[in-house]
Amino acid sequence: MTRTHCPYCSLQCGMTLSRTGQRTGRSLEVQPWPEFPVNEGALCRKGWAATALRGHRERLTSPLVRDRATGELRAAGWEEALDLVAGRLRELQGAHGPDAVAVFGGGGLTNEKAYQLGKLARVALGTSQIDYNGRWCMSSAASAGNRAFGIDRGLPFPLADIERTDVLVLVGSNLAETMPPAARHLDRLRANGGRVVVVDPRRTATAERADLFLQPVPGTDLPLALGLLHLLDAAGAVDEEYVAARTTGWEEVRRSLAAWWPERVERVTGVETAQLRECAALLAGAARVTVLTARGAEQHAQGTDTVLAWIDLALALGMPGKAHAGYGCLTGQGNGQGGREHGQKADQLPGYRMIDDPAARDHVARVWGVPAASLPGPGRSAYELLDALGTDGGPQALLVFGSNIVVSAPNATHVASRLADLDLLVVADIVMSETAAMADVVLPVTQWAEETGTMTNLEGRVILRERAVAPPEGVRTDLEVIAGLAERLGSPIAFSTDAEEVFAELGRASSGGRADYAGITYDRIREEHGVFWPCPSTEHPGTPRLFGSGFATPDGRARFVAVEHRGPAEPTDAAYPVHLTTGRVLAQYQSGAQTRRVRELPDDGPFVELHPMLADRIGAYDGAPVVVTTRRGELKAPARVVSTIRPDTVFVPFHWVGANRLTHDALDPASRMPEFKVCAAAVSA
Amino acid sequence: MSTRERVVVVGAGMAAVRLAEGLTGIHDVTLLGDEQHPPYNRILLSAVLEGTHDPDGITMSLPGTVDLRRGARVVEIHREEREVELADRSRVAYDRLVLATGSIPTLPPIRGLVRLDGRLDSRVHAFRSLEDCRRLDEAVPGARNAVVVGGGLLGLQVARALGVRGLDTEVVEGGDHLLRSQVDAKAGAILARDLGRLGTRVYTGARAVRLTGTGLVLDNGYVLETDLVVLTAGGRPSTALARRAGLDVRRGVVVDHHLRTSDERIHAIGDCAQHGLQVTGFVPPAWEQATLLARHLAGEQVAYAGSRNVARLRATGLDVAVLGDPEHAVGQVVEVSNPVTGTHRRLVVRDGVIVAATLVGDLSRIGLITQHYDRGTVLGASEPGDLLMGERPAGPVVLPDDAEVCACAGVSAGAIRACASLADARETTRATTGCGGCAPAVRQLLAQRTSPGPTLGTTLEGTPR
Repeated sequence: MTRTHCPYCSLQCGMTLSRTGQRTGRSLEVQPWPEFPVNEGALCRKGWAATALRGHRERLTSPLVRDRATGELRAAGWEEALDLVAGRLRELQGAHGPDAVAVFGGGGLTNEKAYQLGKLARVALGTSQIDYNGRWCMSSAASAGNRAFGIDRGLPFPLADIERTDVLVLVGSNLAETMPPAARHLDRLRANGGRVVVVDPRRTATAERADLFLQPVPGTDLPLALGLLHLLDAAGAVDEEYVAARTTGWEEVRRSLAAWWPERVERVTGVETAQLRECAALLAGAARVTVLTARGAEQHAQGTDTVLAWIDLALALGMPGKAHAGYGCLTGQGNGQGGREHGQKADQLPGYRMIDDPAARDHVARVWGVPAASLPGPGRSAYELLDALGTDGGPQALLVFGSNIVVSAPNATHVASRLADLDLLVVADIVMSETAAMADVVLPVTQWAEETGTMTNLEGRVILRERAVAPPEGVRTDLEVIAGLAERLGSPIAFSTDAEEVFAELGRASSGGRADYAGITYDRIREEHGVFWPCPSTEHPGTPRLFGSGFATPDGRARFVAVEHRGPAEPTDAAYPVHLTTGRVLAQYQSGAQTRRVRELPDDGPFVELHPMLADRIGAYDGAPVVVTTRRGELKAPARVVSTIRPDTVFVPFHWVGANRLTHDALDPASRMPEFKVCAAAVSA
Repeated sequence: MSTRERVVVVGAGMAAVRLAEGLTGIHDVTLLGDEQHPPYNRILLSAVLEGTHDPDGITMSLPGTVDLRRGARVVEIHREEREVELADRSRVAYDRLVLATGSIPTLPPIRGLVRLDGRLDSRVHAFRSLEDCRRLDEAVPGARNAVVVGGGLLGLQVARALGVRGLDTEVVEGGDHLLRSQVDAKAGAILARDLGRLGTRVYTGARAVRLTGTGLVLDNGYVLETDLVVLTAGGRPSTALARRAGLDVRRGVVVDHHLRTSDERIHAIGDCAQHGLQVTGFVPPAWEQATLLARHLAGEQVAYAGSRNVARLRATGLDVAVLGDPEHAVGQVVEVSNPVTGTHRRLVVRDGVIVAATLVGDLSRIGLITQHYDRGTVLGASEPGDLLMGERPAGPVVLPDDAEVCACAGVSAGAIRACASLADARETTRATTGCGGCAPAVRQLLAQRTSPGPTLGTTLEGTPR
C-alpha cells in the first residue's frame, strides 16, 4: 500500500494505491485513504480510474525524433534524442542569442520539476523565456491576492473551514463537477445551517446545491460585486471598525459605489434587482462570510479587477483573517499553487521571489552557486510567449513539459501556427498529445505513481505523491530529462535527479521568500498530512491559516482597490450575437491527454450547450449538430439543449480540440490571463 | 491622441462626473457646479428619502485631478473670448466648453404655491436636488399627510418613499392614467390599484388648481387636506445659458453626432441636450453621451447615434420597467396582460428585435429582456412570447434504468436498483462516495425498490441531469 494523491485537480485527494487488485483486477488499484482531511476517502470517477493509464497501449516508451526525409516521427535512443536537442538549442542560441530558446511548463508538474525547469531556463539555458500554463489557471486571483493581501495563496485556510461559515459565495466555480469531493464540505456547511450562493451563467450541479443562484451575463461578475457592495454600504453592513483597523483604501472604493445602483447593475449583469437585494440581505445578516472565486470569475481580460472587487466585498464585511470566513481562490490544476511559486513563471524565482528584486536574485544565485548577474530578467507571459514563437526576435525553439498547448491555449489555431513556425519543438509527455504530435522530438516521461514528488494543493498544503510502481522500460523522469539536457548544455552546476534532494534544495532557495518551504521535509509531510507554507524552519508548525494578526503587506493592512468595469474585450454584435463561455465536465480533465484515454471515463466528445429558446430560434435539436463560429474559428458539435444555461450564452467544454479555436486572446493587463470565459459567437443549426 | 486642452464643464451632475472620469489624464477638466455639495447620484435621492440610503453614501467619486468648483454659477458664455463668467464676475477660460446643465423643474399653474413675499409656501417642496431632499426629509417627521403632484416615475417614487415613511400619501395626476408618458392605460390602472393596495390614493384626470390653508384644491372640487405638497410634474432642459450665447436651441441645446452644439468648441450632454428629436431626461443616456464625448475629445473616431433607455421605478412594492418608448415605438405588439394578478407585460418587436417594452407587476426575465433590447438581438418567432411567459417549474422526473444518478462514479439508476441497501450501493458502485450529491436520489431509489408497487421507473423531484 502506498499513500499518494490523485493525479488530477488542485484538491489533490488523498488515496492509497494497492497492488492486490482485488476489486478491479488491475495490477495497481486505487483505494480510499479516509484519514486525509481534504477528501476523507471520497474520490470522483477520475480518481478511481487514475491507474488506468498504467500499461496503456498508447503510452510512449521510446524517444521519437522527426525524420527530416520522411517528416515522420521515428523511434530513437535517449542519447541520440538528448544530444540532438541540446545541439540544436546551442546552435539556435549561438545564432540568435539566449532568448531564442523558450521553456513552457505546467501547473500539473511537481514542485521539484517546476523548480528544476526554472533553473534549467535561468542557469543552463540562460533564457528569460519561460512561462507555464498556470498563467491560464489562477493568475488573476494571484495578482489580485498579491495586490490586496501582499501574498498569493489560493486558500488562506484549510478547505474544511468553509463548513462553519454562515454564507459561502462561490463565484464562477462548479466545484461539484470540477472537484466533486469538495462538495461534501458544501453539504456539511448547509447541514450546519449555513447558506450557499452560487454565481454562474449556468445552473450547474454546484448551483443545484445553492440556496441562492445568481446567473449573470458572462464577463459581468465585477459589476455584480460592486452592486452588492453598494447595497451593503447603503444598509450600513460595512464593518467600519475592521476597515479602520486592518485596511486602507476604503474611502475611494466607497465613493466609486454610488455609480452601481441596483437597476444599473441589473441592466449590465442581467441579474434582477430582487435577487441582488436578496443576496445583499443574506450577506448583511451573516456573521461569517466566505467568498471563493474560480476560473469563471478569473479567466477574463478584467479577471484581476473582478477578483479585487470580490475581495473588496469580503474586506468591507470584515471577513479576511476572521475564523471560518474570508476570501479564497479555488485553484484548478493539481499543482497550480506550487507550480507558480518556484520559478517557472516568467517574472519569478523560487519562494515566490520576484526576478527583478536584487536581494531575491542574490539569494537564489547563492543557493544555485552562480553569479546573480548571470540570471536573466523577466520574460514573456504564457500567451505572449507563444504568440512570439518563430517570429523575428521571438524564440525559435520551445521545450514543453506538462502541457498540451494545442488544446489548451486560447485562439488555438493561431497558436498552432506559431508552433509550426519553430525551428525546434520538444515535448516531454506520457502519451502522444496533440502538441507532441507536432514536435520534432518527443521525450517519453514517467507518470504519476511511477515517480515521487510534492504538490501544493489549493489550500497551500504541501503534499507528497510517493512512487508506487516502477516505470515502464524506456521512459525517464522529467528530472532526469532536465538533468540530461542541463549537462549537455554545459550547465555550470549539476542538476540532481533525486526528488527529495531537489526538494531540500528548493527549501533552501525558497527560504526567506513569501512561499517559504525551508522547514518542510518529506518525513514531516508523511507524518502531518501535509504541511502548509510558509514554514520557515523544521521547528515551525506550518501555517494553515493566514491573516489572523496581519496581512503580508509592508504595513500589515489589506488593500481595498477601486476598480472600474470595462466589460468583455469582444462584445456581442449583429454578426456574433451570443456569448460563448467554456469550461469542464466531470469525467474529463484539462486537455484530456490523460482522461480521454481512460476507458472508464465517458468521452462523448465536445458538445454545445444552449437554451431551448436559443435552440428554437436557430432550429436546433438536442443531439443534432450545431456550428459555433467566432472571428477566430468554427466548431461543429452536437447540441445539448438545456434550460440551465442563460438563453444568450452557449457553453463548450474545452477538453477537446475545438473550443479554444474559438476563444479570444485578449489579456488581463496585470495577470496576462486570456479571456477564455467570454467572447462573441454565432451559432447555427 | 489629441493635445491637452482645458475642458470646462458647466454643471457637476451625473453626466459631468462621467465625462470627467473619461477625460482623466487626457485633458485638464474643470467642473463648475452651482450646488454646494460634492457631486452625488441623483437617482438615489428617493432612496435617501425612503431611508434605505445614507445621504453621504450617494456621493460620486471624482478623479483627484479634476478641478471641482462648488457653488460656481455660470451666468454668461463669452464665445469670442472662450470664457465663461461666474456670478461673482470672475471668468474661466476654456478650450472646450461642455454644457451639462441638466433640467429645471416646471412649476405647475397652481395658485397659492407662491406666497405674497415671493417665496414658496412652506408646505411646498420640489424634488430635484439633494437640498430639496434634505428639506423634505426634515419636514416628514412633523407631517401626517402628503400630496404628490405628478404621477410620473419620480412622483411615484416619492409617493412610495413618503408612504414607507408612514405618511398618508395621495397622488394627483392630470393625465388619464399614471406614467402616461411611458405606459398604456391598462398598465397605469394596474399601478393605481397597486398603489391603492399599498395605502396611497391616486386621483387621475384631476388637476390641482389652488393651495389654501386647508389643503390642495382639485379642479373636480375635491380638497385634499395636506401638510406637504411635493411637485414632481416634469421638468424642461435648462437652456437659458445656451440661448443667451446664441447657440441653436430648440427643446434642448441642439447637438450633432459628436454632441457638438452650433459652436464647434461647445458641446452639450445629458438632460439639457437635444440630439435629433430626442431629449432624454434619464441618467443612462446621459452617461452614454458623456462616455462618447470623452472618447471623442480624446481623439477617438466615435459617433453618437442615440440611446436606448431603460427606466426602472425604484419604489418598494411597485414593479415597473419601461424599455424605450413603448407608447410610440413602431412594431408588432406581443402582450400578456392579467388584471387578475395585476400584471401587464408588453413587448414591441420589429424585425425580430425588441424595440420597446413595458413590464408592470411582474419583472421576471427583466434581466434577459433588457439584454436582448440593449444588444438588438434578433429573436425567433416564438421567442417574444416565451420571454413573457413565466418559467414553468420542472415536473417530476421518471428515471429510466440507464439514467446516470451518480456522476462522480458514473452509476446508473438501474445499477442502484440492483443494490440491496445503501451500504451495498456504496460498496459495489461507489455511488454517494464522491461529492455526495446523489445521496437523496439513491436513498429514494432504494426506498422505492423495497416498497410495493411498480418497480420500473422511479419518480424523483428536481434531480439534476
